[in-house]
Amino acid sequence: MIAKILLYVVRVHPAFLVVLSALLLIDLLTLFSVTPYLAVKQGLWEVFGLLMGLGILLVPYPLFLKNALWIYGVVLALLAIVFLAGHASHGARRWIGLGWFQIQPSEFMILGLILFLTWLFVPEKRDVPLRPGRFAAALLASVFPALLIARQPDLGTAFELMIIFSVFVFLKGIPSRIVTISVLGGLAFFPVLWEGVWAHLHEFQKDRIRAFIDPASDPSGLGYHTIQSIVAVGSGGWFGQGLSGATQVRYQFLPGAHTDFVFAVFTEEWGFAGALIFLGLVSYLVWFGFRTAMDCRDPAGFYLSAGVTGFFLFCFLINVLMVLGILPVVGVPMPLMSYGGSAMIVSLGAMALLMNVRFYAKR
Amino acid sequence: MASEFRFHKNGILGSPRARLNGLIFVFWLGIAVVVVRLYVVQVIKHRHYLALARDNVVKVVPIPPLRGEITDRNGVVLVRNGPDFAVFEIPGEVRHPRRELAWLAFDLGIPASKLRHALSRLGFVLPPHMPVPLETGLSMAQVGRVNMDLYRLPGFYIQVMPKRIYPPDNIGAHLLGYVGSFTASDLKGSFYRHLPPGTGIGKSGIEKEYDALLQGAPGLRRKLVDSHGRMVRNLRNDPPKEGRSLRLTIDMRLQMTAERFLGDRRGAVVALDPRNGEILALASHPSYNSEELSQAMSSARWNTLVHATDHPMTDRAVQGLYPPGSVFKIVTTLAGLTEHKLDPEAPFHCAGTFRVGSVIFHDWKRGGHGTLHLHKAIEQSCDIYFYHLGMTLGPEPIARVARLFGLGSRTGIDLPAELSGVVPDREWKRKYLHTSWYPGETPPLAIGQGFLTVTPLEMARLMGAVAMKGQLSHPHLLLGEKEKGGSSGAADLTPIPIPKKDFDIVRGDLRDVVAAPHGTGHPVDLPFFAIAGKTGTAQVVSNRGKNKGIKRPKADSWFVGFGPFDDPRIVVAVLIENGGDGGDVAGPVAREIFRMFYITRLAEKGNPAPAVAS
Repeated sequence: MIAKILLYVVRVHPAFLVVLSALLLIDLLTLFSVTPYLAVKQGLWEVFGLLMGLGILLVPYPLFLKNALWIYGVVLALLAIVFLAGHASHGARRWIGLGWFQIQPSEFMILGLILFLTWLFVPEKRDVPLRPGRFAAALLASVFPALLIARQPDLGTAFELMIIFSVFVFLKGIPSRIVTISVLGGLAFFPVLWEGVWAHLHEFQKDRIRAFIDPASDPSGLGYHTIQSIVAVGSGGWFGQGLSGATQVRYQFLPGAHTDFVFAVFTEEWGFAGALIFLGLVSYLVWFGFRTAMDCRDPAGFYLSAGVTGFFLFCFLINVLMVLGILPVVGVPMPLMSYGGSAMIVSLGAMALLMNVRFYAKR
Repeated sequence: MASEFRFHKNGILGSPRARLNGLIFVFWLGIAVVVVRLYVVQVIKHRHYLALARDNVVKVVPIPPLRGEITDRNGVVLVRNGPDFAVFEIPGEVRHPRRELAWLAFDLGIPASKLRHALSRLGFVLPPHMPVPLETGLSMAQVGRVNMDLYRLPGFYIQVMPKRIYPPDNIGAHLLGYVGSFTASDLKGSFYRHLPPGTGIGKSGIEKEYDALLQGAPGLRRKLVDSHGRMVRNLRNDPPKEGRSLRLTIDMRLQMTAERFLGDRRGAVVALDPRNGEILALASHPSYNSEELSQAMSSARWNTLVHATDHPMTDRAVQGLYPPGSVFKIVTTLAGLTEHKLDPEAPFHCAGTFRVGSVIFHDWKRGGHGTLHLHKAIEQSCDIYFYHLGMTLGPEPIARVARLFGLGSRTGIDLPAELSGVVPDREWKRKYLHTSWYPGETPPLAIGQGFLTVTPLEMARLMGAVAMKGQLSHPHLLLGEKEKGGSSGAADLTPIPIPKKDFDIVRGDLRDVVAAPHGTGHPVDLPFFAIAGKTGTAQVVSNRGKNKGIKRPKADSWFVGFGPFDDPRIVVAVLIENGGDGGDVAGPVAREIFRMFYITRLAEKGNPAPAVAS
């Protein structure tokens, strides 16, 4: 079976394989220039993630969907464990220790939620209309873990869950009049909502939003992230400063250079030309996901691959726009690129789900 | 695109497929925005940003916080900070690491391998712009030589660092502990991640236990530097937050007395206030030099310290496990009284030997003590009396009372790595040695030998509870504060469920151990200070190392006592390894501590002036 799957991937989708490998290699090179030690660790995670992906390919996706409730439940239980007795680091509780390494259940909630929402929206292989009951279930299943994660505090991942929810509901479709009413109602209640949310944000989260509104107000303080990120990108020029010449990374502490701002590091080193190639690679992956959904002859496969694609493209866009100072620093990492073991496994797992739909949906 | 199923048509754009197309459209739109923005930033404004990056780079350098000072209860400074010169390297700015490191080593007059070792300890895990301390404790001559060469050693600099200064003569070394620079393994703990390299962190003793309080928070210096790394101007400094100063319960005068009279002998001294558990003195000898350990030291020297046969790194007061010897007879007595199996007035004949099965136990006094009752048995520490009492009771009641006094479990003192002794009984032996209890093991237990072990701190606490007539204290070192977690009040006393009248009997006997001319503790007697206590002379069979099974040349020597008798304010426990007779060897050390306590704490309150200490 493994041989059959590998043969399929190599024969039918060589381009996908090349693009994915290129992105993973770029990731390692970029991290290596920031902190060599992290690149070594990330490399191990990549290998681990690819093995996980292969494992996912062995199981037909309908089987995943059949057990989606269980998968979702287990991840939710892990999240609850983290909430109650997690491993704290940098003042945040996100990790569960497993001997020599730690996992971040909040990342796995991404896969759990995608599977769960697909299962919820396509019962018995039929595309049913979105009734209030199902909508409420989807909302609850997304908001509850998102709240748990936001309390960790990890606004970025909570935000990612809400992206998944929005993508699924959008794909499912809500009657136009309800959309209109919600938008108007939302606008009317915005001040109230804003007060409520603002009061519950942590100080560093508030600082980030303040800094977004006016980054230049305090160049060495709050707007520091954004300004340094743009300076890094800008100093890249057409062809970049090279792996060893990126002064922003070497001399200057660009905070989060290995996580949220890894794209800034990459563009400083590879320049505009490198960035275009990179965007091309990412666009190919998005297009691959899009084709997978469009060609799929099974509604469950459609929602699964479309959901993965939507999640991937939005996380990617939000991260890049954040690095370029167009969106606030919300802490959404770049899939496949930002440093993080759990995140890498989830990203590669999502890619494997796409390939899974391609492989099993055609028969 | 063959579709074999039908989507439900609703919402905007009609069908899910159309909406997915919409998502992709949003993506292309986003990509377009990204490309335009990248073009503007990277191509059109490239020169502007390159200039910003090249010429004016903001460098963030952490400023180490000043560690808090440690004082004794009267405000006498025990640990303070002094200046120390250190040379740092910023790995990311060094052009020819090997050559320049060799150069620096030449200037310092030390082998380059030592510098490389210091670098490899941290250089790999830290980002390249973070400074790594290469060598600390530079002499003025070294500073001068390096300074002259710094212009051709970019990426290296000399900085004044705070250095811990400890009391002279290693006083309180175990208690205070020492600091050291953190290593890669320490970085795994999240707490240390934000500290600048070269900052000392507590490695043992109070320095380790209260590291979070002493440490403070590092500040940040944000400075504008040019492309050569030279500072253009300071942008903004966040000053470091100085660590908190700690006030200990220790009384330096008692601590010094304890260490002086302990002298060169191996042993430990604990003095505490039984009313609240405040530790007044905590000494252990042999010890180490905290300042030496706080600096980078060679692994050879470290190994010498760790593997020395007299174990200088062990804090004997809280980590040393010893049989308590006759001091334990207090517990046996109380067990007999609470079990109503001991009549204090009943006469008993001691003939010098005691027989269990085929084993014959001897009294320490050949020929025996003759006919006596409880009072004289404690006063003269008659072994036969307690062998008999022990056999009447069996191991369980003795072990139960011992545990009521906290033996066999940690006291919870605010020091890292405290150990607890062992209180054996049938169940313990079955569980850990997988054999049953032999009758011949009960008599040694009754006089505090055999499997039974205690730490000097545990014994001091036990005596404190006897002094307070059944109020067990919780030893601690931080003055006037709740323990770290804030959960258990340090000054709280735990009542022990043993009748007060039983304590009255034992306390009276303990007073005569010291006061009566024939009492074993008579060497401790002071004419102006009513002391009560118990001596112990514990025969030891070594059970570790190559001496396993061989009797040590001399017995461990104990004295544990309290005073004043009517209003106990201090408990002193003295242990001297292989000292010999408890009263003669450990006793005088305790006596001098009681004398110092009287002079410094009691004499001014209308009590008669004492004779000057010899």
